[in-house]
Amino acid sequence: MKKILVLFATLGLSFGADQVILKKPPASLGKYYPPQSNRFEYVSVMNEMSTAFYGVRLNINEGRWDRALDWANRLKDAYTRAQNMVPEWKDYFKPALADQLISAVRAKNPDQVIKASRELGETCNKCHAENQIAVKLVYHYPPFATLKMEDPVEFVQLSPKEYMRKLSDSMKALRIFLMQGDVQKAREAGEQVVERVKGTEAICSKCHTDKTVVDRIHGKDHEQALASIQRLLKEPQPNREAIFRAMSVIGQSCNKCHNLHLVPAMVQEAFRK
Amino acid sequence: MILLVLFSLLLFGCGKFEELAREEDLLERPQAKRCADCHAEIFKEWEKSRHAKAWVSEQFRLESENYTKNKCLSCHAPHQVDPDKKPILRVEFKEDGVSCVACHFKEETKAMHGPLKVWSPPHPSREDLSYLRSNFCAGCHQETFKQWQMVKTQKSCQDCHMPSLGKRDLIQKFPFHLFHLAKPRHSHEFPALKAKPEDLLLEVKDGKLYITNVGVPHNLPTADQGDPKLYITVIVNTPQGKQTIRRLLSAQAKTALEHGKPYEIELPQDIKNLKVLIHRKLSHSEEKELILERDL
Repeated sequence: MKKILVLFATLGLSFGADQVILKKPPASLGKYYPPQSNRFEYVSVMNEMSTAFYGVRLNINEGRWDRALDWANRLKDAYTRAQNMVPEWKDYFKPALADQLISAVRAKNPDQVIKASRELGETCNKCHAENQIAVKLVYHYPPFATLKMEDPVEFVQLSPKEYMRKLSDSMKALRIFLMQGDVQKAREAGEQVVERVKGTEAICSKCHTDKTVVDRIHGKDHEQALASIQRLLKEPQPNREAIFRAMSVIGQSCNKCHNLHLVPAMVQEAFRK
Repeated sequence: MILLVLFSLLLFGCGKFEELAREEDLLERPQAKRCADCHAEIFKEWEKSRHAKAWVSEQFRLESENYTKNKCLSCHAPHQVDPDKKPILRVEFKEDGVSCVACHFKEETKAMHGPLKVWSPPHPSREDLSYLRSNFCAGCHQETFKQWQMVKTQKSCQDCHMPSLGKRDLIQKFPFHLFHLAKPRHSHEFPALKAKPEDLLLEVKDGKLYITNVGVPHNLPTADQGDPKLYITVIVNTPQGKQTIRRLLSAQAKTALEHGKPYEIELPQDIKNLKVLIHRKLSHSEEKELILERDL
């Protein structure tokens, strides 16, 4: 029984140490994810397989081979359904190995169970290693490309990427003009920074219907920092360091969103090209 | 027909006549167009409203990611609208959006509710004064309702968004309309309304332009989840030439004009004169509409 435990413990994900290559997920997978479906059918069938696999192990470890056989049959059923759901991934599946697992359980032969489980598990691992990260990034995040943001400074509709570029340029301009001592130009750039930062909040609501999520990013510190930038820039000789400190608070808000959203957005964009 | 009805009334009395005239399917949450059989005028008004398009609107389909954002759905196809309560999602005829039965049929009484006392043999009716109060709308229009409460105005949501049409017939079906007197009617088009120039106070003081919402008893623009916008364009003439200042105000960016709270725009020095243009864009529209244009 120990062998069984050890074997199943090694059936997790394994990736190459040096690189992770992301392959564009097949289009047919889209049927099982938003916006086409919010039932996550493919994830559900994966969970069914994983549960059934554990059901086999759990029952064998308790000496209940009849129950283990029941779970092995369930595993075969879910495995077959999964194979038919995404035609492009059909070759990852080896249904004969699921049959071998059933036979091994029926024969109550632990060595054969271990062999069949390892080989069957490898088919899962191979597919996961090649596809799981890309699928997560593409299908478990909203499609950023469809979002539009309106620039409050120029009144034009922009993609999030274009908007962020303008916001970033405004922030750099504010920094540059302050460092050069161009106070009036710094004021103009500062006003654009404030307006564009406030404008980012409108994009959050496109996906986040729970306002507390947005408030966690654009919270009190963030609001105070924006107010500080406006107040400090009105002074005859703006305190450069104080403005930079306030900008770093805004930068932390940027980071919070970027850490969560930037990688999937970049991957999605790469797959669109 | 009229004689037959009168004869039935004499013979059986009102109670018996109601039983005979009862149309059972009306108590089974029918489609909105079924209500048009009697309430043709109200139906025509509602058909033009955003409530009628709440579910089928292409904008909503896209924003709700093809109806997968569960949190949004129940207000766009509510089962039963009750004061102060977020409704649950309706099962049937979602395409009707905020439909007749969603607002007027109550499961608890199996009757149509409304603000008037009426005799209606085809279905039981209950007079319900909650239809005259703003909190009837509050279950879905939560943010707007909170803003309205802060203003402490006597005007209800219905006063502006269900304007009076005077006394009119509630039904247009022969011969039943002959048995009803005209009643006070309010529009079921639920107009979004547009702020009037006098709703916005513009002042220039101490080198700043102040814009104050003095006439609309909620934020401008207002929305719970949509993204309506207000565009402020200030064209300033200075000795150095023309300068344009733009501000985009939106409900979602929390930059909307609050009632009574001046919004300030810093102006350049030495201005000779300035022109202010304010446009709005509704959530479901791409068109910018002019609210005011003023020289100061």
